Amino acid sequence: MDAWHITWFTIVSATAATALMLPPGVAIAWILARYRFPGRSIVETIVSLPLVLPPVATGLILLLLLSRRGIIGRFLESLGIDVVFTWKAVVIAMATMGMPLLVRTARAGFEQVDQRYEHVAATLGARPARIFFTISLPLAAPSVIAGAVLAFARALGEFGATIMIAGSIPGVTRTLAVAIYSYTETGRDSSAFVLLGISAAIAFGALWIANKLSERRPA
Amino acid sequence: MARVLTLLVVIGLWPVPQPASPITVAAAVSLTDALNAAGEEYGQNGARKVYFNFAASNVLARQIVNGAPVDLFISADEEQMRVVEKAGLVAEGTRVDLLSNQLVVIVPDDRPRTFTSIRELLDPAFKRIALGDPAAVPAGVYAKRLLEKEGMWTAIEPRVVPAVSVRAALSAVESGAADAGIVYQSDALTARRAKVAWVVPVDRGPRIIYPAAVIRRSAVTADAKAFLAFLQSDAATRIFTRFGFAPAR
Repeated sequence: MDAWHITWFTIVSATAATALMLPPGVAIAWILARYRFPGRSIVETIVSLPLVLPPVATGLILLLLLSRRGIIGRFLESLGIDVVFTWKAVVIAMATMGMPLLVRTARAGFEQVDQRYEHVAATLGARPARIFFTISLPLAAPSVIAGAVLAFARALGEFGATIMIAGSIPGVTRTLAVAIYSYTETGRDSSAFVLLGISAAIAFGALWIANKLSERRPA
Repeated sequence: MARVLTLLVVIGLWPVPQPASPITVAAAVSLTDALNAAGEEYGQNGARKVYFNFAASNVLARQIVNGAPVDLFISADEEQMRVVEKAGLVAEGTRVDLLSNQLVVIVPDDRPRTFTSIRELLDPAFKRIALGDPAAVPAGVYAKRLLEKEGMWTAIEPRVVPAVSVRAALSAVESGAADAGIVYQSDALTARRAKVAWVVPVDRGPRIIYPAAVIRRSAVTADAKAFLAFLQSDAATRIFTRFGFAPAR
């Protein structure tokens, strides 16, 4: 059994998914924390939807959008980009499922930043982008990092959406969670138990780091 | 307080007329439409209600071995029935070969093709080929056996998308996510967005048999036997034929 390949692929994909969701995730968290605008609650709901929707349903939505016959998939195919049943689908599934955790945690961090610092910076002539990068983001950094670690941990364990749009192709899209399922369903229990141990160890480590980071969060 | 408790106990002990417990059938997912139709017809004659649990046969065999409350098991291959038999869970003398099926190659209906031979599947245009997981799902095991016999397996294997059941393989083709798939003829009949490109001739394909057996710890053994007998009747055979199955010879 290629346990190490599966583990490595899962960690790399989860890292890529976290990197992919960080810029839009932090931006959305910041906007939700600081601005009031029409449609704000809709944005909030859509971002949080994967948290409450069955992961398989989220996967089905992604499949309908990204398969060759879907709206986005049709466009991607004309560019020669294949997504469904490739590693890209794994990363997209993980990012979609991790996003709510990142946004919610980071948003709480931004809301805790004392707005007076931002106002002072503004009166001294700093532009919003500069305020964001020199004041808000550094002050909220522990929350953003904790959110990213949580999202990363969620991505590591992603199953439902992954199996829908990426399948369980050995050596191509098979992540830890999907491999555990496939091995159990095909009666290869001992292989499944090895992967179970590895997943538990990684998840434990990721959560421990996330907890350490949130303890350091400024009150 | 004591009076309330007494009341609750009395209510709890009051004999409630139990409705006749239904028959639970665990059946290969390829039988979904045919068995639902057969079960409906069976229920119309005032017989017991039949509940179905459809999944890949290997999944069902595993559930049964692990203690799932099942009265009748219909597998898509002999291997998975053997798993249940080995666990000592088949009621003696109840196992029958119920149905047979055939393999077909399907493609999405927006890219229809008609093969003159199964070798056309080697065309590089078929980047992803959906099968039931060839490690266990019967339809995938059969498909692998076919491709091995044709000497094509090593060429096809890297393109295989293993699906959790034969119906999942069918959906992968219908959604356009896979470029081709190998499923049962009966599944292809239910497809709305996939077309058959090649019907594997009976004499070239693997022998596909659906064995059925009553599970030993069933609480409604007699009813399960009666339903199994119904499934072998002419009326049921007509239904199965309509859905693309043939009676097992």
